[in-house]
Amino acid sequence: MSSSVATAPQSGAEQAKSWRTNRKLDQWIAFWSVPFFFNVFGLVFVPLSWMMPPRSPSSPTPHIVDFMHSHNLLIACLILTLAYGLAPVSNALYLVQIKRMSVSPAFRYSMMIGAITGAIVGMLFPMFCFGLGAFRPGYSPGVLTMLYDFGYLAFIGSLGCFCVMWMAFGLAIILDENRILPKWLGYYTVWQYVTELMAAPVWIAKTGPFAWNGLMTFWFAMALYVSWQFIVYLCIYKTIKNQPESELDNAAPQPAPAAIEVSSRTGA
Amino acid sequence: MTSLIRNPLTIVWALLAAVTIASSLIAVDGGASHQINTTVTTVVLLIAAFKAHLVIRYFMEVRHAPVWLKATTTGWVLGLFALLFGFYFAAL
Amino acid sequence: MTDVAEGSATGVDQSQRAADTRGHVPGEASMWFFVVGDLLIFAVYFVGYMYFRGQNHELFLASQARLNVDIGAINTIVLLTSSLFVALGTAAARAGNTASGLRAFWIALAFGAAFPILKMFEWIPEITAGLTPGKNLFFMYYYVMTGMHLCHVALGLVIMCFVIRNLKTSTMPKISFIETGATYWHMVDVLWLVLFALLYLMR
Repeated sequence: MSSSVATAPQSGAEQAKSWRTNRKLDQWIAFWSVPFFFNVFGLVFVPLSWMMPPRSPSSPTPHIVDFMHSHNLLIACLILTLAYGLAPVSNALYLVQIKRMSVSPAFRYSMMIGAITGAIVGMLFPMFCFGLGAFRPGYSPGVLTMLYDFGYLAFIGSLGCFCVMWMAFGLAIILDENRILPKWLGYYTVWQYVTELMAAPVWIAKTGPFAWNGLMTFWFAMALYVSWQFIVYLCIYKTIKNQPESELDNAAPQPAPAAIEVSSRTGA
Repeated sequence: MTSLIRNPLTIVWALLAAVTIASSLIAVDGGASHQINTTVTTVVLLIAAFKAHLVIRYFMEVRHAPVWLKATTTGWVLGLFALLFGFYFAAL
Repeated sequence: MTDVAEGSATGVDQSQRAADTRGHVPGEASMWFFVVGDLLIFAVYFVGYMYFRGQNHELFLASQARLNVDIGAINTIVLLTSSLFVALGTAAARAGNTASGLRAFWIALAFGAAFPILKMFEWIPEITAGLTPGKNLFFMYYYVMTGMHLCHVALGLVIMCFVIRNLKTSTMPKISFIETGATYWHMVDVLWLVLFALLYLMR
Protein backbone atom coordinates (compact mmCIF):
# COMPACT_ATOMS: atom_id res chain seq x y z
CA MET A 1 0.00 0.00 0.00
CA SER A 2 1.63 3.20 -1.02
CA SER A 3 -0.90 5.93 -0.88
CA SER A 4 0.20 9.19 -2.30
CA VAL A 5 -0.14 12.42 -0.61
CA ALA A 6 -3.87 12.92 -0.37
CA THR A 7 -3.76 14.07 3.22
CA ALA A 8 -0.25 15.39 3.89
CA PRO A 9 -0.28 19.18 3.63
CA GLN A 10 -0.66 20.50 7.13
CA SER A 11 2.11 23.11 7.10
CA GLY A 12 0.71 26.39 5.82
CA ALA A 13 -0.39 27.01 2.27
CA GLU A 14 2.56 29.12 1.26
CA GLN A 15 4.95 26.35 2.25
CA ALA A 16 3.32 23.96 -0.19
CA LYS A 17 6.63 23.32 -1.90
CA SER A 18 8.52 22.44 1.23
CA TRP A 19 6.29 19.54 2.22
CA ARG A 20 7.86 17.46 -0.45
CA THR A 21 11.26 17.89 1.09
CA ASN A 22 10.00 17.43 4.63
CA ARG A 23 12.14 14.68 6.05
CA LYS A 24 9.39 13.51 8.33
CA LEU A 25 6.97 13.15 5.45
CA ASP A 26 6.67 9.41 5.88
CA GLN A 27 5.65 9.78 9.48
CA TRP A 28 3.20 12.54 8.69
CA ILE A 29 1.57 10.49 5.96
CA ALA A 30 1.25 7.61 8.37
CA PHE A 31 -0.06 9.95 11.02
CA TRP A 32 -2.78 11.47 8.91
CA SER A 33 -3.82 8.11 7.58
CA VAL A 34 -4.98 7.37 11.08
CA PRO A 35 -7.95 9.73 11.36
CA PHE A 36 -8.90 8.73 7.84
CA PHE A 37 -8.69 5.05 8.73
CA PHE A 38 -10.51 5.41 12.02
CA ASN A 39 -13.28 7.47 10.52
CA VAL A 40 -13.78 4.96 7.72
CA PHE A 41 -13.93 2.23 10.28
CA GLY A 42 -16.30 4.19 12.47
CA LEU A 43 -18.67 4.74 9.58
CA VAL A 44 -18.41 1.18 8.38
CA PHE A 45 -18.98 -0.42 11.70
CA VAL A 46 -21.61 1.86 13.11
CA PRO A 47 -24.15 3.62 10.98
CA LEU A 48 -23.50 1.54 7.90
CA SER A 49 -23.71 -1.99 9.17
CA TRP A 50 -24.71 -1.60 12.83
CA MET A 51 -22.10 -4.13 13.64
CA MET A 52 -21.06 -1.83 16.40
CA PRO A 53 -22.07 -1.41 19.17
CA PRO A 54 -21.97 -5.17 19.25
CA ARG A 55 -25.18 -7.02 18.77
CA SER A 56 -26.34 -9.32 21.46
CA PRO A 57 -24.59 -12.68 21.83
CA SER A 58 -27.93 -14.14 22.68
CA SER A 59 -29.76 -12.85 19.62
CA PRO A 60 -32.30 -15.26 18.24
CA THR A 61 -31.15 -17.09 15.14
CA PRO A 62 -33.46 -15.39 12.63
CA HIS A 63 -32.05 -12.01 13.64
CA ILE A 64 -28.55 -13.28 13.20
CA VAL A 65 -29.34 -14.68 9.77
CA ASP A 66 -30.92 -11.42 8.68
CA PHE A 67 -27.97 -9.45 9.89
CA MET A 68 -25.44 -11.68 8.17
CA HIS A 69 -27.31 -11.40 4.89
CA SER A 70 -27.94 -7.70 5.13
CA HIS A 71 -26.91 -5.42 2.30
CA ASN A 72 -25.18 -2.99 4.57
CA LEU A 73 -22.98 -5.65 6.04
CA LEU A 74 -21.94 -6.48 2.51
CA ILE A 75 -20.86 -2.92 1.81
CA ALA A 76 -19.18 -2.70 5.18
CA CYS A 77 -17.14 -5.82 4.48
CA LEU A 78 -16.21 -4.52 1.06
CA ILE A 79 -14.83 -1.32 2.49
CA LEU A 80 -13.15 -3.23 5.27
CA THR A 81 -11.39 -5.49 2.78
CA LEU A 82 -9.99 -2.49 0.95
CA ALA A 83 -9.06 -0.40 3.98
CA TYR A 84 -7.63 -3.17 6.09
CA GLY A 85 -4.14 -2.43 4.83
CA LEU A 86 -4.08 0.86 6.70
CA ALA A 87 -3.80 -0.90 10.04
CA PRO A 88 -0.08 -1.62 9.71
CA VAL A 89 0.50 1.98 8.71
CA SER A 90 -1.04 3.32 11.90
CA ASN A 91 0.91 0.83 13.94
CA ALA A 92 4.10 1.95 12.23
CA LEU A 93 3.76 5.24 14.05
CA TYR A 94 4.20 3.56 17.41
CA LEU A 95 7.12 1.53 16.22
CA VAL A 96 9.03 4.51 14.84
CA GLN A 97 8.85 6.20 18.22
CA ILE A 98 9.55 3.15 20.31
CA LYS A 99 12.73 2.66 18.32
CA ARG A 100 14.03 5.93 19.73
CA MET A 101 13.62 4.78 23.28
CA SER A 102 16.45 3.63 25.46
CA VAL A 103 14.80 0.33 26.25
CA SER A 104 15.70 -3.07 24.90
CA PRO A 105 14.68 -3.83 21.31
CA ALA A 106 12.72 -6.72 22.76
CA PHE A 107 9.94 -4.26 23.52
CA ARG A 108 9.81 -3.10 19.93
CA TYR A 109 9.68 -6.64 18.59
CA SER A 110 7.06 -7.69 21.10
CA MET A 111 4.97 -4.75 20.10
CA MET A 112 5.41 -5.48 16.43
CA ILE A 113 4.44 -9.13 16.73
CA GLY A 114 1.59 -8.21 19.05
CA ALA A 115 0.32 -5.72 16.50
CA ILE A 116 0.63 -8.18 13.65
CA THR A 117 -1.17 -11.00 15.39
CA GLY A 118 -3.67 -8.54 16.81
CA ALA A 119 -4.55 -7.16 13.41
CA ILE A 120 -4.97 -10.64 12.01
CA VAL A 121 -7.06 -11.98 14.81
CA GLY A 122 -8.83 -8.81 15.79
CA MET A 123 -9.65 -7.46 12.38
CA LEU A 124 -9.00 -9.99 9.67
CA PHE A 125 -10.91 -12.83 11.28
CA PRO A 126 -14.06 -10.79 11.85
CA MET A 127 -13.75 -9.54 8.29
CA PHE A 128 -13.72 -13.12 7.08
CA CYS A 129 -16.59 -14.16 9.28
CA PHE A 130 -18.91 -11.34 8.45
CA GLY A 131 -17.68 -11.36 4.90
CA LEU A 132 -18.60 -15.00 4.49
CA GLY A 133 -22.07 -14.22 5.68
CA ALA A 134 -22.36 -11.19 3.44
CA PHE A 135 -20.64 -12.38 0.26
CA ARG A 136 -21.65 -16.04 0.24
CA PRO A 137 -25.36 -16.66 0.60
CA GLY A 138 -26.48 -20.18 1.24
CA TYR A 139 -24.99 -21.08 4.58
CA SER A 140 -27.27 -22.74 7.08
CA PRO A 141 -28.45 -20.73 10.11
CA GLY A 142 -26.30 -22.86 12.35
CA VAL A 143 -23.18 -22.02 10.38
CA LEU A 144 -24.11 -18.36 10.25
CA THR A 145 -24.58 -18.30 14.00
CA MET A 146 -21.16 -19.80 14.45
CA LEU A 147 -19.63 -17.22 12.12
CA TYR A 148 -21.40 -14.48 14.02
CA ASP A 149 -20.02 -15.73 17.34
CA PHE A 150 -16.59 -16.23 15.79
CA GLY A 151 -16.55 -12.73 14.33
CA TYR A 152 -17.55 -10.94 17.48
CA LEU A 153 -15.39 -13.01 19.76
CA ALA A 154 -12.41 -12.48 17.50
CA PHE A 155 -13.05 -8.76 17.49
CA ILE A 156 -13.72 -8.23 21.18
CA GLY A 157 -12.28 -11.27 22.82
CA SER A 158 -8.89 -11.35 21.12
CA LEU A 159 -6.92 -10.39 24.12
CA GLY A 160 -3.54 -12.01 24.15
CA CYS A 161 -1.94 -10.26 21.22
CA PHE A 162 -3.11 -6.88 22.33
CA CYS A 163 -2.10 -7.57 25.91
CA VAL A 164 1.45 -8.12 24.74
CA MET A 165 1.33 -5.08 22.49
CA TRP A 166 0.10 -2.66 25.09
CA MET A 167 2.18 -4.02 27.91
CA ALA A 168 5.30 -3.77 25.74
CA PHE A 169 4.43 -0.24 24.71
CA GLY A 170 3.48 0.86 28.22
CA LEU A 171 6.56 -0.59 29.85
CA ALA A 172 8.79 0.83 27.14
CA ILE A 173 7.43 4.31 27.75
CA ILE A 174 7.73 4.00 31.53
CA LEU A 175 11.29 2.69 31.43
CA ASP A 176 12.49 4.91 28.63
CA GLU A 177 15.19 7.28 29.73
CA ASN A 178 15.06 9.36 26.57
CA ARG A 179 11.59 10.53 27.54
CA ILE A 180 10.30 10.19 24.02
CA LEU A 181 6.76 9.94 25.26
CA PRO A 182 5.54 11.19 28.65
CA LYS A 183 5.64 8.74 31.51
CA TRP A 184 2.00 9.15 32.43
CA LEU A 185 1.15 7.96 28.94
CA GLY A 186 3.04 4.78 29.73
CA TYR A 187 0.83 4.21 32.73
CA TYR A 188 -2.23 5.06 30.67
CA THR A 189 -1.10 2.43 28.17
CA VAL A 190 -0.96 -0.12 30.96
CA TRP A 191 -4.70 0.48 31.25
CA GLN A 192 -5.03 -0.50 27.61
CA TYR A 193 -3.62 -3.82 28.71
CA VAL A 194 -6.14 -3.84 31.55
CA THR A 195 -9.03 -3.29 29.13
CA GLU A 196 -7.95 -6.43 27.32
CA LEU A 197 -8.11 -8.35 30.58
CA MET A 198 -11.46 -6.75 31.32
CA ALA A 199 -12.76 -8.15 28.05
CA ALA A 200 -11.90 -11.76 28.93
CA PRO A 201 -15.34 -12.62 30.37
CA VAL A 202 -16.93 -12.21 26.92
CA TRP A 203 -15.95 -15.79 26.23
CA ILE A 204 -18.22 -16.95 29.02
CA ALA A 205 -21.13 -14.58 29.49
CA LYS A 206 -23.85 -14.38 26.87
CA THR A 207 -25.94 -11.80 28.63
CA GLY A 208 -25.50 -9.07 31.16
CA PRO A 209 -22.66 -6.68 31.87
CA PHE A 210 -19.94 -9.19 30.97
CA ALA A 211 -21.20 -10.23 27.57
CA TRP A 212 -19.44 -8.88 24.48
CA ASN A 213 -21.96 -6.04 24.37
CA GLY A 214 -21.96 -5.63 28.14
CA LEU A 215 -21.54 -2.58 30.32
CA MET A 216 -18.28 -3.67 31.87
CA THR A 217 -16.62 -5.53 29.02
CA PHE A 218 -17.65 -3.37 26.11
CA TRP A 219 -18.87 0.09 27.11
CA PHE A 220 -16.50 0.71 29.98
CA ALA A 221 -13.58 -0.87 28.15
CA MET A 222 -14.35 1.24 25.08
CA ALA A 223 -14.48 4.41 27.13
CA LEU A 224 -10.96 3.72 28.33
CA TYR A 225 -9.76 2.49 24.94
CA VAL A 226 -11.11 5.33 22.82
CA SER A 227 -9.91 8.07 25.14
CA TRP A 228 -6.46 6.51 25.16
CA GLN A 229 -6.45 6.26 21.40
CA PHE A 230 -7.09 9.99 21.05
CA ILE A 231 -4.54 10.91 23.62
CA VAL A 232 -1.80 8.68 22.30
CA TYR A 233 -2.08 10.19 18.86
CA LEU A 234 -1.92 13.68 20.32
CA CYS A 235 1.26 12.68 22.10
CA ILE A 236 2.64 11.09 18.95
CA TYR A 237 1.88 14.25 17.02
CA LYS A 238 3.91 16.27 19.47
CA THR A 239 6.68 13.74 19.45
CA ILE A 240 6.96 13.66 15.68
CA LYS A 241 7.05 17.42 15.64
CA ASN A 242 9.72 17.57 18.29
CA GLN A 243 11.85 14.81 16.88
CA PRO A 244 15.22 16.22 15.87
CA GLU A 245 15.88 15.62 12.20
CA SER A 246 19.27 14.17 12.92
CA GLU A 247 17.59 11.31 14.70
CA LEU A 248 15.43 10.24 11.83
CA ASP A 249 15.98 6.72 10.59
CA ASN A 250 15.87 7.85 7.02
CA ALA A 251 18.33 10.62 7.77
CA ALA A 252 20.46 10.70 4.67
CA PRO A 253 23.66 12.70 4.86
CA GLN A 254 23.05 16.20 3.52
CA PRO A 255 25.78 17.10 1.08
CA ALA A 256 23.92 19.73 -0.95
CA PRO A 257 20.37 21.04 -1.26
CA ALA A 258 20.08 19.05 -4.49
CA ALA A 259 18.61 16.11 -2.60
CA ILE A 260 15.14 16.44 -4.06
CA GLU A 261 14.49 12.75 -4.41
CA VAL A 262 12.52 12.48 -1.27
CA SER A 263 13.45 9.20 0.25
CA SER A 264 10.02 7.75 0.25
CA ARG A 265 10.76 4.55 2.04
CA THR A 266 7.45 4.12 3.63
CA GLY A 267 7.68 2.03 6.68
CA ALA A 268 11.13 0.63 7.00
CA MET B 1 11.65 -3.72 69.11
CA THR B 2 9.86 -1.19 71.28
CA SER B 3 10.50 1.45 68.68
CA LEU B 4 8.66 -0.78 66.25
CA ILE B 5 5.72 -1.15 68.58
CA ARG B 6 5.57 2.52 69.43
CA ASN B 7 5.86 3.55 65.79
CA PRO B 8 2.66 5.30 64.73
CA LEU B 9 2.53 3.11 61.65
CA THR B 10 2.33 0.00 63.78
CA ILE B 11 -0.41 1.53 65.85
CA VAL B 12 -2.36 2.29 62.70
CA TRP B 13 -1.81 -1.29 61.60
CA ALA B 14 -3.07 -2.67 64.88
CA LEU B 15 -6.18 -0.56 64.55
CA LEU B 16 -6.68 -1.75 60.99
CA ALA B 17 -6.27 -5.38 62.00
CA ALA B 18 -8.65 -4.97 64.88
CA VAL B 19 -11.45 -3.46 62.84
CA THR B 20 -10.88 -6.06 60.13
CA ILE B 21 -11.50 -8.83 62.61
CA ALA B 22 -14.41 -6.96 64.10
CA SER B 23 -16.10 -6.48 60.76
CA SER B 24 -15.55 -10.14 59.85
CA LEU B 25 -17.32 -11.13 63.03
CA ILE B 26 -20.10 -8.67 62.39
CA ALA B 27 -20.77 -10.29 59.03
CA VAL B 28 -22.75 -12.67 61.02
CA ASP B 29 -22.98 -16.40 60.24
CA GLY B 30 -21.06 -16.09 56.97
CA GLY B 31 -24.26 -15.19 55.21
CA ALA B 32 -25.86 -18.56 55.77
CA SER B 33 -29.20 -16.95 56.36
CA HIS B 34 -29.22 -15.35 52.88
CA GLN B 35 -30.84 -12.28 54.36
CA ILE B 36 -30.34 -8.65 53.55
CA ASN B 37 -29.03 -6.90 56.62
CA THR B 38 -28.76 -3.15 56.39
CA THR B 39 -27.06 -2.77 59.76
CA VAL B 40 -24.31 -5.22 58.93
CA THR B 41 -23.81 -3.67 55.53
CA THR B 42 -23.69 -0.13 56.85
CA VAL B 43 -21.19 -1.00 59.54
CA VAL B 44 -19.07 -3.09 57.23
CA LEU B 45 -18.93 -0.42 54.53
CA LEU B 46 -18.18 2.36 56.98
CA ILE B 47 -15.36 0.31 58.44
CA ALA B 48 -14.02 -0.32 54.94
CA ALA B 49 -14.08 3.41 54.21
CA PHE B 50 -12.31 4.09 57.47
CA LYS B 51 -9.64 1.51 56.70
CA ALA B 52 -9.10 2.87 53.21
CA HIS B 53 -8.77 6.34 54.66
CA LEU B 54 -6.19 5.19 57.20
CA VAL B 55 -4.09 3.34 54.65
CA ILE B 56 -4.17 6.30 52.30
CA ARG B 57 -3.37 8.85 54.96
CA TYR B 58 -0.77 6.98 56.95
CA PHE B 59 0.76 4.25 54.83
CA MET B 60 0.59 6.18 51.58
CA GLU B 61 1.70 9.31 53.44
CA VAL B 62 -1.01 11.47 51.95
CA ARG B 63 -1.13 13.10 55.36
CA HIS B 64 2.00 14.96 54.30
CA ALA B 65 0.99 15.43 50.72
CA PRO B 66 -0.08 18.58 48.91
CA VAL B 67 -3.69 19.64 49.13
CA TRP B 68 -4.59 18.49 45.64
CA LEU B 69 -3.56 14.94 46.42
CA LYS B 70 -5.36 14.95 49.75
CA ALA B 71 -8.48 16.26 48.05
CA THR B 72 -8.33 13.72 45.24
CA THR B 73 -7.92 10.71 47.49
CA THR B 74 -10.46 11.90 50.02
CA GLY B 75 -12.80 12.64 47.18
CA TRP B 76 -12.37 9.10 45.91
CA VAL B 77 -13.22 7.56 49.27
CA LEU B 78 -16.21 9.82 49.82
CA GLY B 79 -17.50 9.58 46.26
CA LEU B 80 -17.13 5.83 46.04
CA PHE B 81 -18.83 5.08 49.32
CA ALA B 82 -21.57 7.60 48.67
CA LEU B 83 -22.36 5.77 45.44
CA LEU B 84 -22.11 2.38 47.10
CA PHE B 85 -24.51 3.37 49.87
CA GLY B 86 -26.74 5.11 47.37
CA PHE B 87 -27.13 2.11 45.10
CA TYR B 88 -27.48 -0.23 48.04
CA PHE B 89 -30.31 1.62 49.69
CA ALA B 90 -31.97 2.56 46.43
CA ALA B 91 -32.42 -1.08 45.57
CA LEU B 92 -33.95 -2.18 48.83
CA MET C 1 -10.87 11.24 61.39
CA THR C 2 -9.23 9.83 64.49
CA ASP C 3 -5.84 11.24 65.01
CA VAL C 4 -3.64 8.37 65.88
CA ALA C 5 -0.59 9.35 67.84
CA GLU C 6 0.18 12.38 65.74
CA GLY C 7 3.83 11.79 66.30
CA SER C 8 6.72 11.53 63.98
CA ALA C 9 6.40 8.68 61.57
CA THR C 10 9.79 9.38 60.18
CA GLY C 11 11.34 11.61 62.79
CA VAL C 12 10.57 14.85 61.00
CA ASP C 13 7.89 16.75 62.82
CA GLN C 14 8.07 20.49 63.26
CA SER C 15 9.92 20.90 60.02
CA GLN C 16 7.29 18.72 58.42
CA ARG C 17 4.56 21.16 59.43
CA ALA C 18 6.22 23.84 57.40
CA ALA C 19 6.69 21.53 54.46
CA ASP C 20 3.10 20.39 54.80
CA THR C 21 1.76 23.55 53.34
CA ARG C 22 3.48 22.60 50.15
CA GLY C 23 3.42 18.88 50.81
CA HIS C 24 5.52 15.98 49.66
CA VAL C 25 4.33 13.66 46.92
CA PRO C 26 5.80 10.25 47.69
CA GLY C 27 7.51 8.81 44.69
CA GLU C 28 6.93 9.85 41.10
CA ALA C 29 3.87 11.87 40.21
CA SER C 30 3.20 9.63 37.21
CA MET C 31 2.65 6.71 39.58
CA TRP C 32 0.05 8.75 41.41
CA PHE C 33 -1.61 9.37 38.06
CA PHE C 34 -1.76 5.61 37.68
CA VAL C 35 -2.95 5.05 41.24
CA VAL C 36 -5.80 7.53 41.04
CA GLY C 37 -6.83 6.22 37.65
CA ASP C 38 -6.74 2.64 38.84
CA LEU C 39 -8.79 3.56 41.88
CA LEU C 40 -11.34 5.11 39.56
CA ILE C 41 -11.41 2.10 37.25
CA PHE C 42 -11.99 -0.26 40.13
CA ALA C 43 -14.56 2.16 41.53
CA VAL C 44 -16.59 1.65 38.35
CA TYR C 45 -16.44 -2.09 38.98
CA PHE C 46 -17.41 -1.65 42.62
CA VAL C 47 -20.37 0.54 41.83
CA GLY C 48 -21.39 -1.71 38.95
CA TYR C 49 -21.32 -4.64 41.34
CA MET C 50 -23.50 -2.78 43.83
CA TYR C 51 -25.93 -1.77 41.11
CA PHE C 52 -26.36 -5.28 39.72
CA ARG C 53 -26.52 -6.69 43.21
CA GLY C 54 -29.52 -4.45 43.78
CA GLN C 55 -31.27 -6.21 40.93
CA ASN C 56 -30.39 -9.70 42.05
CA HIS C 57 -30.54 -9.80 45.82
CA GLU C 58 -31.30 -13.46 46.33
CA LEU C 59 -28.75 -14.58 43.80
CA PHE C 60 -25.98 -12.49 45.30
CA LEU C 61 -26.81 -13.38 48.88
CA ALA C 62 -27.01 -17.09 48.17
CA SER C 63 -23.75 -16.98 46.24
CA GLN C 64 -21.95 -14.96 48.88
CA ALA C 65 -22.74 -17.61 51.44
CA ARG C 66 -20.50 -19.97 49.48
CA LEU C 67 -17.40 -17.80 49.90
CA ASN C 68 -14.63 -18.52 52.34
CA VAL C 69 -14.76 -15.51 54.63
CA ASP C 70 -11.95 -16.84 56.80
CA ILE C 71 -9.41 -16.88 54.02
CA GLY C 72 -10.73 -13.51 52.91
CA ALA C 73 -10.14 -12.07 56.36
CA ILE C 74 -6.72 -13.66 56.70
CA ASN C 75 -5.74 -12.29 53.30
CA THR C 76 -6.86 -8.85 54.42
CA ILE C 77 -4.62 -9.01 57.46
CA VAL C 78 -1.81 -10.39 55.31
CA LEU C 79 -1.98 -7.46 52.93
CA LEU C 80 -2.29 -4.94 55.74
CA THR C 81 0.78 -6.40 57.39
CA SER C 82 2.68 -6.37 54.15
CA SER C 83 1.73 -2.73 53.69
CA LEU C 84 2.91 -1.95 57.20
CA PHE C 85 6.33 -3.33 56.46
CA VAL C 86 6.48 -1.51 53.16
CA ALA C 87 5.72 1.73 54.98
CA LEU C 88 8.28 0.96 57.67
CA GLY C 89 10.85 0.01 55.06
CA THR C 90 10.26 3.19 53.10
CA ALA C 91 10.67 5.30 56.21
CA ALA C 92 13.85 3.46 57.15
CA ALA C 93 15.34 3.85 53.69
CA ARG C 94 14.53 7.54 53.74
CA ALA C 95 16.26 7.92 57.08
CA GLY C 96 19.34 6.29 55.58
CA ASN C 97 18.88 3.02 57.44
CA THR C 98 19.25 0.77 54.41
CA ALA C 99 19.74 -2.47 56.35
CA SER C 100 16.57 -1.94 58.30
CA GLY C 101 14.73 -0.97 55.17
CA LEU C 102 15.88 -4.07 53.36
CA ARG C 103 14.76 -6.30 56.22
CA ALA C 104 11.36 -4.66 56.30
CA PHE C 105 10.90 -5.11 52.57
CA TRP C 106 11.83 -8.77 52.71
CA ILE C 107 9.17 -9.29 55.36
CA ALA C 108 6.71 -7.29 53.28
CA LEU C 109 7.50 -9.48 50.28
CA ALA C 110 6.97 -12.65 52.30
CA PHE C 111 3.56 -11.51 53.49
CA GLY C 112 2.69 -10.28 50.03
CA ALA C 113 3.61 -13.59 48.47
CA ALA C 114 1.32 -15.35 50.92
CA PHE C 115 -1.67 -13.62 49.34
CA PRO C 116 -1.76 -15.47 46.03
CA ILE C 117 -1.00 -18.76 47.78
CA LEU C 118 -3.93 -18.32 50.12
CA LYS C 119 -6.04 -17.25 47.18
CA MET C 120 -5.36 -20.59 45.49
CA PHE C 121 -6.58 -22.36 48.60
CA GLU C 122 -9.71 -20.32 48.23
CA TRP C 123 -10.29 -20.53 44.49
CA ILE C 124 -9.36 -24.12 43.76
CA PRO C 125 -11.91 -25.73 46.07
CA GLU C 126 -14.49 -23.27 44.80
CA ILE C 127 -13.84 -24.07 41.18
CA THR C 128 -13.78 -27.79 41.73
CA ALA C 129 -17.10 -27.40 43.53
CA GLY C 130 -18.54 -25.89 40.38
CA LEU C 131 -18.47 -22.26 41.47
CA THR C 132 -17.01 -20.95 38.24
CA PRO C 133 -17.11 -17.47 36.71
CA GLY C 134 -19.86 -18.62 34.38
CA LYS C 135 -22.08 -19.82 37.19
CA ASN C 136 -23.86 -16.55 37.78
CA LEU C 137 -23.34 -12.80 37.79
CA PHE C 138 -22.06 -12.69 41.35
CA PHE C 139 -19.37 -15.22 40.66
CA MET C 140 -18.44 -13.46 37.45
CA TYR C 141 -17.93 -10.24 39.37
CA TYR C 142 -16.13 -12.14 42.11
CA TYR C 143 -13.61 -13.80 39.82
CA VAL C 144 -13.16 -10.79 37.54
CA MET C 145 -12.58 -8.36 40.38
CA THR C 146 -10.41 -10.59 42.53
CA GLY C 147 -8.64 -11.79 39.39
CA MET C 148 -7.81 -8.27 38.26
CA HIS C 149 -6.73 -7.54 41.79
CA LEU C 150 -4.53 -10.64 41.83
CA CYS C 151 -2.82 -9.43 38.65
CA HIS C 152 -2.14 -6.18 40.46
CA VAL C 153 -0.72 -8.10 43.41
CA ALA C 154 1.56 -10.07 41.11
CA LEU C 155 2.82 -6.89 39.50
CA GLY C 156 3.31 -5.34 42.94
CA LEU C 157 5.41 -8.28 44.05
CA VAL C 158 7.59 -7.92 40.98
CA ILE C 159 8.04 -4.22 41.70
CA MET C 160 8.89 -5.03 45.29
CA CYS C 161 11.61 -7.39 44.11
CA PHE C 162 13.14 -4.54 42.16
CA VAL C 163 12.95 -2.33 45.23
CA ILE C 164 14.73 -5.00 47.26
CA ARG C 165 17.36 -5.32 44.58
CA ASN C 166 17.87 -1.58 44.67
CA LEU C 167 18.28 -1.61 48.43
CA LYS C 168 20.62 -4.57 48.31
CA THR C 169 22.93 -3.62 45.55
CA SER C 170 23.28 0.10 45.42
CA THR C 171 25.10 2.26 47.92
CA MET C 172 22.63 5.07 47.39
CA PRO C 173 19.18 3.55 47.09
CA LYS C 174 16.80 5.56 44.95
CA ILE C 175 14.27 6.81 47.45
CA SER C 176 11.95 8.05 44.77
CA PHE C 177 11.78 4.61 43.22
CA ILE C 178 11.16 2.96 46.59
CA GLU C 179 8.39 5.42 47.37
CA THR C 180 6.87 4.83 43.94
CA GLY C 181 6.82 1.08 44.47
CA ALA C 182 5.42 1.54 47.96
CA THR C 183 2.63 3.77 46.70
CA TYR C 184 1.62 1.13 44.17
CA TRP C 185 1.58 -1.58 46.82
CA HIS C 186 -0.56 0.43 49.22
CA MET C 187 -3.03 1.05 46.41
CA VAL C 188 -3.30 -2.71 45.95
CA ASP C 189 -4.05 -2.93 49.66
CA VAL C 190 -6.75 -0.24 49.54
CA LEU C 191 -8.47 -1.99 46.64
CA TRP C 192 -8.56 -5.24 48.56
CA LEU C 193 -10.08 -3.54 51.61
CA VAL C 194 -13.06 -2.50 49.52
CA LEU C 195 -13.26 -5.86 47.75
CA PHE C 196 -13.30 -7.70 51.05
CA ALA C 197 -16.21 -5.65 52.32
CA LEU C 198 -18.22 -5.85 49.11
CA LEU C 199 -17.74 -9.49 48.25
CA TYR C 200 -17.37 -11.24 51.57
CA LEU C 201 -18.98 -9.18 54.26
CA MET C 202 -21.86 -7.03 53.13
CA ARG C 203 -25.38 -8.44 53.19
